[in-house]
Amino acid sequence: MELTHETTNGPRALLRSIPRQSMIAIVVLIGALCLAAIMSRTEAILAPLWLLAMGAGFTIQRSRFCFASAFRDLFLFGSSRMMQAILVGLAISTIGFAIHMYSKVPFPGFGVLPGEANILPVGLSTIVGGLFFGFGMVISGGCVSGSLFRMAEGYVASWVSMGGILIGLGLLSQTWNWWWHFSISSESTVWIPAKFGLGYGGGVLLTLSALLGAFLLLLWWESRSGLSVPDIARKKEPGDTFGEKLSTLWRSVFVRGWPAVVGGGVLGGIGVLMYMVHMPWGVTGELARLSNSIMTIFNFAPPEAVGLSNLAGCTGLSDSSSLFTHSFAVTVGLLPGALVGALFASEFKLRYPRNAKRYVQALSGGIIMGYGAGLGIGCTVGAFFSSIPSLSLSGWLFGIALLGGSFAGVQVIKRIA
Amino acid sequence: MELDVRGEICPYPMLKAVEAMKKLKGKDSVTVLTDHAPCLETIPPQAGRYGYTCQVKQDGGAQWTITLIPSGDVS
Repeated sequence: MELTHETTNGPRALLRSIPRQSMIAIVVLIGALCLAAIMSRTEAILAPLWLLAMGAGFTIQRSRFCFASAFRDLFLFGSSRMMQAILVGLAISTIGFAIHMYSKVPFPGFGVLPGEANILPVGLSTIVGGLFFGFGMVISGGCVSGSLFRMAEGYVASWVSMGGILIGLGLLSQTWNWWWHFSISSESTVWIPAKFGLGYGGGVLLTLSALLGAFLLLLWWESRSGLSVPDIARKKEPGDTFGEKLSTLWRSVFVRGWPAVVGGGVLGGIGVLMYMVHMPWGVTGELARLSNSIMTIFNFAPPEAVGLSNLAGCTGLSDSSSLFTHSFAVTVGLLPGALVGALFASEFKLRYPRNAKRYVQALSGGIIMGYGAGLGIGCTVGAFFSSIPSLSLSGWLFGIALLGGSFAGVQVIKRIA
Repeated sequence: MELDVRGEICPYPMLKAVEAMKKLKGKDSVTVLTDHAPCLETIPPQAGRYGYTCQVKQDGGAQWTITLIPSGDVS
């Protein structure tokens, strides 16, 4: 019997008009939702964290949101488009975090810090961690969250980067105690609302003013480099009938890329929600846990990390033994989210660099970045994007160090053709 | 000039396109074949800087052809 006959209408034709990647996207989506249900049996709170991480992964994929390019492109192309988007996200998060922190610690001057906020030590470890991280992410072509979402999009080099990140985190675990005695034990946290009687009002005002200042600096930087964004004529989509309106809406969310600033705003909001559910967004903790488990399997377990459990932030939470933890949900959830985003847009593709040097770059950049993430107690997400809204000085210092590391990284990648 | 940067990691697709425009100085057009979606946002602003206009065509799925034409040719 001939089954491949042409039908011009009916359900079979409709089914055929759906791209194959979209079909897989639906399967992945259902699978990820089932996993949320399974996880919620371990602990109810894991389901919303997993879904928020999926939302973050989807948003990052759709807006091609990339912390590495935000820092790198300032120096490489004189472009601040992505950094502006980050500032928008930080501003939204700052307001949301402050409201939530107020509900936990109404009077900030009494020496109590809001639990789970990413208020990290300020000192040499922050600077060295940021420099290493900034340098490594530029060399490898993406930061930790960037490597995660590109892994889901099919970038094979990002899988290599992730291997490097795990090695770097392992190296740091093995040397953490040296860093602790050398520097971190004498570093203190600086929570802005608790300083000089600023309170939440003063802390938020100061942070938002600094973000505005940074924004103006970016505009000046871009005008200096002579960059102008051209008007690109976009095909006008028909939008008269209900079906056409629906199709336009579908395309603008699932097919066409989002403007970076939309991605920044949505991620800022998701960050607030994650903190309200339990803790600010961070992806380094789970990877450090994975790295330590792998080393333990190979009889190379790192020594007990002195002082780490008393510090907030990503890696301090990584001592649980069960698979489904909060850090698992907020980290691994990025993968199905980004995969669904890539599949609905038919953008999933295995991409193999043809130049062997790229694999070396991905691995070595990953190792350097992983070491920096361990030392900085977080990556561009935990120690920067979740730390500045925690009204912590550490986020600003880490960000400035990231700028320095990225600048050095740009000088290197320009020379590796 | 044709540039096939498929498979390349970030930022080499953009970097190579920019270097080509710098080298050609508007004497020749550049056709960039890429599977790296961020290029669609980052190459157009760079084109204007080096005297090029930019056309983006999706070849289906995760592949795009970005054609950079010297501005002098169209005006």
